[in-house]
Amino acid sequence: MSRMWQVHELRDRYDAVIIGGGAHGLCCAYYLASEHGINNVAVLEKRYIGSGGSGRNTAIVRSNYLTPAGVRFYDASLKLYERMAVELDINVMLSQRGHITLAHNDISLRTMRRRAEVNRLQGVESRLILPDEIKQLCPVLDVSDRPRYPIIGALYHPPGGIIRHDAVVWGYAHQADAHGVHIHQMTEVTGIEVSGAKVTGVKTNRGQIKTETVLNATAGWCSTISAMAGLRLPVITSPLQAAVTEPLKPFLDVVVVSGSLHVYVSQSDRGELVMGASVDPFPSYSSRGSLDFAESLASHIIELMPGLQRVRLMRQWAGIVDMTPDYSPIMGFTPVEGFFVDVGWGTYGFKASPIAGKMLAECIATKRTPDLITPFSLSRFNEFDLMGEAGAASVGH
Amino acid sequence: MSNTLLFVIVIGATLMLVIGGAVTIAITLYRANRLIVSEVVLPHLEKVMGARLPSQPVELINRKEEMRFTFEGNEYSAFKGDTIASALAASGIKIFSRSFKYHRPRGLLCCSGHCPNCLVQIGDEPNVRACRQRVAPDMIVKPQNVTPTLMWDLLAPIMRFLSPFMPVGFYYKTLYRPKWIWKVAEPLLRAAGGLGKASHSESPEDTFDKQYLHGDVVVIGGGPTGISAALSAAGSDAKVLLIDENDQLGGYLRIKAEAKDVVDELCASVYAHPNIQTLTETTVTGCYDHNWLAATHGDRLYKIRADKVVLATGVVERPLVFDNNDLPGVMLGSAAQYLLHLYAVRPGRRAVVVTANDDGWDVAADLHAAGIEVVALADERERAACSSAKMESLEAELPVFWRHIVTSAHGNTAVNAATIAPLESDGSLTTRRTRLECDLLLVSIGWTPNTGLAYQAGVEFGYDEDRAELMARNMPDDFIIAGRAAGTHMLEHQITEGALAGRRMASAAGYGDAPTTSEWTFVQEEKKREVTRSSQRTIVKGSSKRFLCYCEDVTDKDLTTAVAEGYDSIELLKRYSTISMGPCQGKMCSMNAVHLCAHANTSTVDETGSTTTRPPMTPISLGALAGQNMEPVRITPIHDWHLGQGAKMMVAGLWLRPEHYGNPTEEVRAVRERVGVIDVSTLGKYKLTGPHVPNILEKVYTNRWRQLAVGRVRYGVMCNAEGIVIDDGVTARFDEREWYMTTTSGGAGAIYEWIQWWMQSGWGDGVQLINRSDDFAAFNLAGPKARTLLKELTDIQLDNKEFPYMHVRSGVVAEVPCRLLRIGFTGELSYEIHCPASYGQHLWEQLLQAGEQFGIMPFGVEAQRVLRLEKGHLIIGQDTDALSNPIAANLEWAVKLEKDDFLGQRSLLRVVENGLKQRLIGFKVNETGPTPEEGLQIVSINSNSKQRKIIGWVSSCRFSPTLNQVIGLCWLPTEIADVDGAEFIIWREERALTAHVHHGAFYDSNGAQLRS
Repeated sequence: MSRMWQVHELRDRYDAVIIGGGAHGLCCAYYLASEHGINNVAVLEKRYIGSGGSGRNTAIVRSNYLTPAGVRFYDASLKLYERMAVELDINVMLSQRGHITLAHNDISLRTMRRRAEVNRLQGVESRLILPDEIKQLCPVLDVSDRPRYPIIGALYHPPGGIIRHDAVVWGYAHQADAHGVHIHQMTEVTGIEVSGAKVTGVKTNRGQIKTETVLNATAGWCSTISAMAGLRLPVITSPLQAAVTEPLKPFLDVVVVSGSLHVYVSQSDRGELVMGASVDPFPSYSSRGSLDFAESLASHIIELMPGLQRVRLMRQWAGIVDMTPDYSPIMGFTPVEGFFVDVGWGTYGFKASPIAGKMLAECIATKRTPDLITPFSLSRFNEFDLMGEAGAASVGH
Repeated sequence: MSNTLLFVIVIGATLMLVIGGAVTIAITLYRANRLIVSEVVLPHLEKVMGARLPSQPVELINRKEEMRFTFEGNEYSAFKGDTIASALAASGIKIFSRSFKYHRPRGLLCCSGHCPNCLVQIGDEPNVRACRQRVAPDMIVKPQNVTPTLMWDLLAPIMRFLSPFMPVGFYYKTLYRPKWIWKVAEPLLRAAGGLGKASHSESPEDTFDKQYLHGDVVVIGGGPTGISAALSAAGSDAKVLLIDENDQLGGYLRIKAEAKDVVDELCASVYAHPNIQTLTETTVTGCYDHNWLAATHGDRLYKIRADKVVLATGVVERPLVFDNNDLPGVMLGSAAQYLLHLYAVRPGRRAVVVTANDDGWDVAADLHAAGIEVVALADERERAACSSAKMESLEAELPVFWRHIVTSAHGNTAVNAATIAPLESDGSLTTRRTRLECDLLLVSIGWTPNTGLAYQAGVEFGYDEDRAELMARNMPDDFIIAGRAAGTHMLEHQITEGALAGRRMASAAGYGDAPTTSEWTFVQEEKKREVTRSSQRTIVKGSSKRFLCYCEDVTDKDLTTAVAEGYDSIELLKRYSTISMGPCQGKMCSMNAVHLCAHANTSTVDETGSTTTRPPMTPISLGALAGQNMEPVRITPIHDWHLGQGAKMMVAGLWLRPEHYGNPTEEVRAVRERVGVIDVSTLGKYKLTGPHVPNILEKVYTNRWRQLAVGRVRYGVMCNAEGIVIDDGVTARFDEREWYMTTTSGGAGAIYEWIQWWMQSGWGDGVQLINRSDDFAAFNLAGPKARTLLKELTDIQLDNKEFPYMHVRSGVVAEVPCRLLRIGFTGELSYEIHCPASYGQHLWEQLLQAGEQFGIMPFGVEAQRVLRLEKGHLIIGQDTDALSNPIAANLEWAVKLEKDDFLGQRSLLRVVENGLKQRLIGFKVNETGPTPEEGLQIVSINSNSKQRKIIGWVSSCRFSPTLNQVIGLCWLPTEIADVDGAEFIIWREERALTAHVHHGAFYDSNGAQLRS
């Protein structure tokens, strides 16, 4: 039986070192090696690959964002997801079963229409639907006037759906490894060496590495890693929690999101309901689940789907996310030469991993910022050219 | 094997399902032919004759009360106190479920609520543990995940046929090339997934509730250790909560007839103790930060703040992994004891007992005493290692096989034989085999401490290789483990350890003295000398399927393969094979999986570690977590009046507000031509007092406040640090020290917190900020007749000279003390009247009554939207979004960049420096026709390529009855927005709609009406 990825000794020197063995870091490594011929690459992972956000998210993919730049970017990501299984030679189980974002008041309905219009004009399938059609798509939803916040409409995004998130990580790891990338698990970065505003090396618990190129592809620790290179990021780190129920026979075909009720839910192919909510209300690095979360999540799920009272929550967990002031990521160059970032992914990092990795690889290899990610540069905070995704991204799973 | 071939197989299998049902049954029958007597006829006989034993000393059933229930459509009887599992087992039922993946028959395994084998559907409730759920009269119980019946599951032979082609990770390796295969295959796989069925009910059917509890010492587990801990902590005067998941205390002693008197006595002491509150049938599901415990009791969720915790949750018996170890009839020793003693059910007729400890001898003795034939007692140990008091007597009466282990269970749908094999001196299997006919194979080879809650509390565990058990390495100050969960297996040690643990935690909570170190150390040393209770062995290799994970049908071969493929850490192994991810959450399989992973990596159990134990420890219903719906609803003081007038109410944040009273267009006309009144009690209303109020206003608003004279009102905009508009409203100055701020309805709560946050962060300056939003009702009386009307109700001087625009006055209106703000969101002469909420309805009715002669109409939010739009006023959150700064939002006049520091200043200076890209501006639609919906995009169309590029969007749009045309507000590139009359295209339903920029207000652009 051949291994999906090999175990290597740490080399003294790599052409590029990627910190963070999640979908972003591994994807970038894969593209660096496969498209840009940069094979002497190390991916350093503190625990096991996919142990951070890549393995803790609720595995929803979509591209119905609010800003034209956001839609373009996430749509490119979704396109890569669509051909990922064949490209990476692993079934990532992409299931484009449709994604509906519920509106419970006129303000969100207006935002939904705005998103639908932006999406359609950019060629992304997305439209506003009314309770009758919502009921057809999702019979368990209570679309009556009974709930405290009745459902008055929804944004329907047919290409949105779910995917097997771990398989994405393993697929990139496998292909990166096949192209010569060294994946080092249980390897923690303890320092980044900078000399004259240039990166010169990385210190790890397994020894020193010389390199001129470092990519920070971490989530949860992106500001602490960047601080090792002397860089401050406009990021606040908070827990983001999720939970699953016991497996049930399939009854929920679409992904259902309610921004007003701060909840999103889908049913996996195994039958579990996979559920999440908005980020915890205070900054923390804790990845423990809380009872408050489980209570409010359950209450909101039942508000939407009253029949689920007797369904049991089986497991809850938390990940840690880095929020930027404009709910958009930071990608590309930094003032420290050779130190690149792919961070600030908040609650939407997994959806973007293929395109982010691909673009960062291009950025590192060509030493210029690809157009697709220009709006997401770190310098936008100095130039006050912020992204406007707050409305669509804050609870928009 | 190519994907295409596999796909053909899957399709073939499906076709078999659809058209070949009968054929499949025939095949199954054929295969089962040889066994049909032992597996069909005998169980049938069992059903007729029953498996209920005569009365047992500690049985929980009440034989005087019998009830009927159905399982899979057949009627069964149960005694009061029976669980579904015990009642069915008493009727000879062996198969309780079909497994998740292979649809293998599964029977009772643990009988303690841990394993997935007895999950059933009861009415609308999926995944009920039949071994814990008591029978209620006429209960309708159904098996889950069967196609179509438990005995004849069509998917079972199909999966048996397919399983050789479905190695671990099968789904990852197949069905994706060509791409369309997944689209076909996924629905099939999906249909096969899941266990029970969720209800589709459209309204919540049951009422769940929550209760808060507190305890100085919370003892989890009511066995001997827990009882002892509770009594000693309570003896130290601590307030104790003793929680147990069973309906009576006693723990594992409940099944021991000889301990009945002791247990009764202990229980009596507990119940008599004034300091102990006992919660039975209560399961602690999670230990969250700082001993915040969640526990369920039926449909109630207890939320328990425990100062200290004693964890005495005992152990879970560990399954052994051998060929066909999942066959119905293979059971944990303790499970058979539960059936036997608590429910007087004979778990089988001919038993083989496989053990590695003295507990197995108890099991064999119990069976023997109950008249069940024990055909073999196979002990993995040397005779010398056995210290059971029953050894000699049993040896005389039963065939005992020393140094033997089970290698295989045999049977098709239930055990009909077991093979045991002797061991070499080094512990490996010899080649000799003994096959024993039996219908019950009991395994009692070791225990796993039930320590999930301890993991959650931050306890770390290390693996004691000699004892083959996990032992705590550290212990937080406010949490302690005792008894079997801490590896203490002898009763006298449990009692001592429990008592010491109880005293220790009571003392830590401030009650009584802690045990001395030597007392504690003594019992720790004593228990180390106890005989080992767990076998080192976890897997016996063979030639058939051996299951570690019953929830997900994961075999040892699956895991070994996965490790070889690179999924070599326990966490990756879990995610790839899905072991421990099912309903039991690893209670049955975790230890075995860690052992296997360690072995496959030639590393140790400690190095391998374990997956993180997440809450809940026992799955908990969403209903219990949710409790009663406590979503608040905010209503204004005249809510009932609105309803009485048939107002259409709308949700606005937490508020319910009238959207209109039937005809919003008429409401607009009334305001423009006569007079109207709107309930704006939903506004945020804050009182600010102190000499330095202007300081905080200068900081939170973008404009100036220091010079605002007493008696005046000013409009202000608030930004966050990014310079984004977050709220607007007017603030009035009553006198030198008292100010009155209003915010938007949506911002009423958040802006109060926002200002408080800044005040508490150093900008307080002695200012008192009081949220009086609920104290005051507020009505906006607007229209040309507003003054004339109001004059009839008040002595306040209302003439323009006495009370001009943007001024505030206090006085009495309709005998009610009021504050009047002369402002004009609607664009008309208007007075916003604030009065104490309790007088709200009186004043409202007085206004309407006095206004009758002027043709007054109440108006709702919809009319107000049109009115303000005609005036060109924006609504924060509708016309602005997360990127809108006030300069771009046409509020530049309210931004004083040159003043001292204010929130958003730094960012707005950047905005000015960079220049604006987009601006909010008014527009009129050129043609008559449909009103563009809010949210539509404004595009530029390339004349050559016909490509449409988004350049802006419509934020507000309405038909204006006053102007008789469609007007709106939109965001446009500044180069277009700056040109009055510039045309642009709104994209609506695949069609271009031409509109043009309109500068200034649409109505009363010079403000004559407003100031009249």
